[in-house]
Amino acid sequence: MRIAALLLIAGMPAAAADSWTVALDEAARVASVMVDGDLCQRIVTPRAWEYMFQENPRDRFLSSDNYDVDDQAFLAVKKTLIRIGRLVPFPADANLWLPVPGHPDKIHVTIRNAHELSQFWPWGALYQEMPAPMKTVLETGRRITVTAKPGWISVLSPVHNSLGDIVGLVEVAAQRTPDAHANVK
Amino acid sequence: MDLFYHKPFSRRTAWLAGVLALAALPLAAGASLEALPEYLRPDPFGGLVAVDSSPGAAPPKTLRLTGARAGYLSFHLVVKAPEGDYRLGLQLADPSGRLQVDAYREWFHFTDSEKLYYPDALVPVRLPYRSSLPEPDNRIVHQTAQAFWIDLWIPPDARPGVYPFRATLESKGGPADLTLEVRVLAAVIPNEDVVTMDHNSYGTSWIAEQYPQARAQTAGDFFQSDALFRLIHAYHRIFYENRGIFHQLGYGHGGKVGPEFAPALEGSGRNKHIANWNLFDRHYSSLLDGSAFAATRRGSQPIPFVYLPINPEWPASYLWWGEPGYETEFVNVVSAMERHFREKGWTRTRFEMFFNHKKRYMGFSWDGDEVRFLKDESYFREFGRLLRKALPPDTPVRFVFRADVSWAMERQFQDLAGVVNLWVTSGGILSWYPRAPEMLRRRGDVVWYYSGPPPVTKPASTITRFPFQAWLWGVNGYVHWLTVDAGRDPWFHFGGGGTALVYPGERFGVEGPIPSVRLKIQRNAVEDLALLAALEKSRPAAELREEAAPRFNGSRLAGWWNPRPAFAARPPDEWSGTDIDEATQATDRMLARIPPEAWQHVREFILQLASEEK
Repeated sequence: MRIAALLLIAGMPAAAADSWTVALDEAARVASVMVDGDLCQRIVTPRAWEYMFQENPRDRFLSSDNYDVDDQAFLAVKKTLIRIGRLVPFPADANLWLPVPGHPDKIHVTIRNAHELSQFWPWGALYQEMPAPMKTVLETGRRITVTAKPGWISVLSPVHNSLGDIVGLVEVAAQRTPDAHANVK
Repeated sequence: MDLFYHKPFSRRTAWLAGVLALAALPLAAGASLEALPEYLRPDPFGGLVAVDSSPGAAPPKTLRLTGARAGYLSFHLVVKAPEGDYRLGLQLADPSGRLQVDAYREWFHFTDSEKLYYPDALVPVRLPYRSSLPEPDNRIVHQTAQAFWIDLWIPPDARPGVYPFRATLESKGGPADLTLEVRVLAAVIPNEDVVTMDHNSYGTSWIAEQYPQARAQTAGDFFQSDALFRLIHAYHRIFYENRGIFHQLGYGHGGKVGPEFAPALEGSGRNKHIANWNLFDRHYSSLLDGSAFAATRRGSQPIPFVYLPINPEWPASYLWWGEPGYETEFVNVVSAMERHFREKGWTRTRFEMFFNHKKRYMGFSWDGDEVRFLKDESYFREFGRLLRKALPPDTPVRFVFRADVSWAMERQFQDLAGVVNLWVTSGGILSWYPRAPEMLRRRGDVVWYYSGPPPVTKPASTITRFPFQAWLWGVNGYVHWLTVDAGRDPWFHFGGGGTALVYPGERFGVEGPIPSVRLKIQRNAVEDLALLAALEKSRPAAELREEAAPRFNGSRLAGWWNPRPAFAARPPDEWSGTDIDEATQATDRMLARIPPEAWQHVREFILQLASEEK
């Protein structure tokens, strides 16, 4: 992604943003307040992290077969994300993304939601290269609006834990013309 | 049904040798007609597909066609002629006019992996058929042979006896003809299958991709159009006509439901309700009352199974999971569904509550599909409770709780007894539990196993393994996990068809799917098994299985099961995928290469028994 072409930094003049972008930005701001970073850090089990990068040519599902989460932490954060998605008057999803411990160039979508909306997730990926806008959010704590894919808007917003560390980010995503059938598979 | 491949050393076929005859008389040099049994696929240059040829064996000189009523007889008819125009005709001497002939041109797919041609897609043709070699649309340089798949439909009221069948060819190589005799037995194949062959798919996006003309010609939203529903119904019909069923899962791993798979919902909490049934009823009414199949040879029947849109996010919002609102939304909507189905009289279909999601897709914290971590079982118990609460105890509507199981199946069979009652099992792991099918069936559960279609690069007979294994194991059915994805360019750059048993017919002017050689071979095997199962009235099923297994591949019935490995006593999250592979090696080795004529030998056995029945 060419960062310069993708980013609209929050705080831009209101006239430059349409109502969708404004609404998503506000939802993302709320997400930074409401999503509990300590809980987020407990979602992915140590086993799942351990296997995430393991490969075995005789066992091609090795990493995904060992993927597991803490039920209660996942559920609590997911419910918060569902509520955040409902802050806007159009279909939107709030997705949780966590950096992969020990792999600063990788990121893992940890919770997705029912509209199957994300501008970043290649369907089925357990982890992926860290997109530049996400790296910026994790490093600076700024909210960033991304409109790289035509018709899509994502606002990325940092998630903090009780120590004040940025431990992840929320992508609040919408598609101006929703596809009722995408990812129904 | 039978295509007898007479081999001099075959005692089992010798008894029919005096009854049936074939004459293949090339009348002019350079042009000929050849008939081949279904398991020997022709190539476009006058030879056979290499994997279908047994070492040292030549194509049969005598093809014998014997079949039971209410079934099909099939063979490949091969036109060999010089370059240029030709005309192919078929005549069946049937004064009653009851027997029917379906002819299909076999498309030769070029596989990028092997740089070879395999026939698979079957393009319906009208007879007499006029074309030229090389076939213009298949574009094969130096093509000298064109194959046709011939289906002879023998209706249940056909008169037993012998029917002459003649093919004629006119080409620049001169005329040629071929005469076969078709023997129709008195035996009638039951309409009900002993093994349910399921053909699975996901959503409807693939229909829009595979039918660009239909989509372009549709005014408005294609996904709400009659054109879409006609196509969906055509898929159900093609599998039904070929002794199978069709499933379309209508939701994704995050809980997103395709609108045509569910009634529209409105409201929240106590107020959540079904707003309308418009799309659902347009999609399903004719499938659930059977009228979608009125014009088929098998007649109108409601589809026996269908996925419901129920998932953790539908009809109740997952926001309320664990709270009173979840139960209220779930129970109110599912109760309304039951009422709608009951009022419509849709009582012959099993409506499946099924969870396909996996936690690796990050929508939910538990695996609905293929549970490995036993803690996830608690969700099944809770959904079972909710379903029971939603349904009147005396409902005539058949709701079932389906679970697709692998790692943890042994535990789940016990832990979820009375909760789950439709089990779709990993074939590899089920092979460790020979007592499981009977145990499940005795308590009223339905049990299937799953895998995927064999690619065209495997011997043609390979696909018969799946219904046969289901019958040998005593399970009710088999699921091909994906059967409608032929790839980006199946016509000239074919990936092998490991996820497809039908093809989009649009490029041939067909508004719907066209079948494949593999689907037809599977159908014929399923018919044979239905006939064999009918014989269980006079011979014990176990005895029939013991006798059938060696005919297929020289195996013993016990060899179709693997020993339960020691690690199976430990929790499944302590195993690995390689452990499982090693523990299924014995059957994998036994079935690594299925002889081309494997099913032929089983068929001969079945037809012999059927002929002996009073």
